[in-house]
Amino acid sequence: MDVQGLQMTQTTPVPGVFKRNPPIAGEAEAIEAAKNGDAEAFSKLYALHKRRVYTLCLRMLGNVSEAEDMTQEAFLHLFRKIGSFRGESAFSTWLHRLTVNLVLMHLRKKGLNLVSLEETINPSEEDAPKRDFGSRDLQLTGSVDRVALERAVASLPPGYRMVFVLHDVEGFEHNEIATMLACSTGNSKSQLHKARLKLRELLRQPDLIAQQDGFKEVTV
Amino acid sequence: MTETKLPDFETMTPADFEQYLPEIFANGDGRVSTDPRLQTFLKNNPDCAALVRDLETIADQARSLFDEPIDPSDAVWTGIQDKLKHASPDDEDLAIPQTV
Repeated sequence: MDVQGLQMTQTTPVPGVFKRNPPIAGEAEAIEAAKNGDAEAFSKLYALHKRRVYTLCLRMLGNVSEAEDMTQEAFLHLFRKIGSFRGESAFSTWLHRLTVNLVLMHLRKKGLNLVSLEETINPSEEDAPKRDFGSRDLQLTGSVDRVALERAVASLPPGYRMVFVLHDVEGFEHNEIATMLACSTGNSKSQLHKARLKLRELLRQPDLIAQQDGFKEVTV
Repeated sequence: MTETKLPDFETMTPADFEQYLPEIFANGDGRVSTDPRLQTFLKNNPDCAALVRDLETIADQARSLFDEPIDPSDAVWTGIQDKLKHASPDDEDLAIPQTV
């Protein structure tokens, strides 16, 4: 199996969740052992990284079942490709990139043509954020409940959710997102802005979240 | 990559601001509310200031979405083990253990 666009060479680390984590004790030894087919080493790598990989998949897909499937695929792919990890960047960064690319490939297979982001996964009129930025009486109070934000993100249209997660959650730059999604940087900026506007709308009117098409329960 | 030309911050209208806000966010460090070039405009247009505060709050809180990573169900590891056990030694790029 090949992952389209997958950067198996080490790239500049991204400032997302994986970059914030320090090296893990015993990880380097487990990686080397796993390269030689050591079953216990594979098990240890799974235990060390399963939560972050799964959470990434869940944020990107907004769906528990798909997130579990992609977590499984990510680790199977990792086990196949671990021999190509050369340690030039953090293992977690490498695994993160691998997972992001697998999820993007999965979405392409599902028919979300990320190549033409603006035309194909722009939401319908009813999904688009309303242009009502002058409603001060409904403004957020300076903080957002994390669970409410999780639910709102999960209910976003896929194109909005993907760019929001990649930029605001994962810390990718617009030019990196444009490369990954094969769209323009302007498109990435526009999608991000629309995603934030939509989230503002959803967070100010929580009843809307449950009404969104494609909403999937994310609480586990 | 070509940068979009931004409007004159001294003379722009709220409609201009709304149109160029994605670029304004992307051009700075993500903190529009503290951009010195925009302080007069935001002071004179509180609705725009409220919008900026809300969008910054959302962006800030987004980083918390990984503060508490979630465990996948045990079925994920079971599925991985099952697939590994049934993997053929002829599989492409096999570095997979035959017993897990």
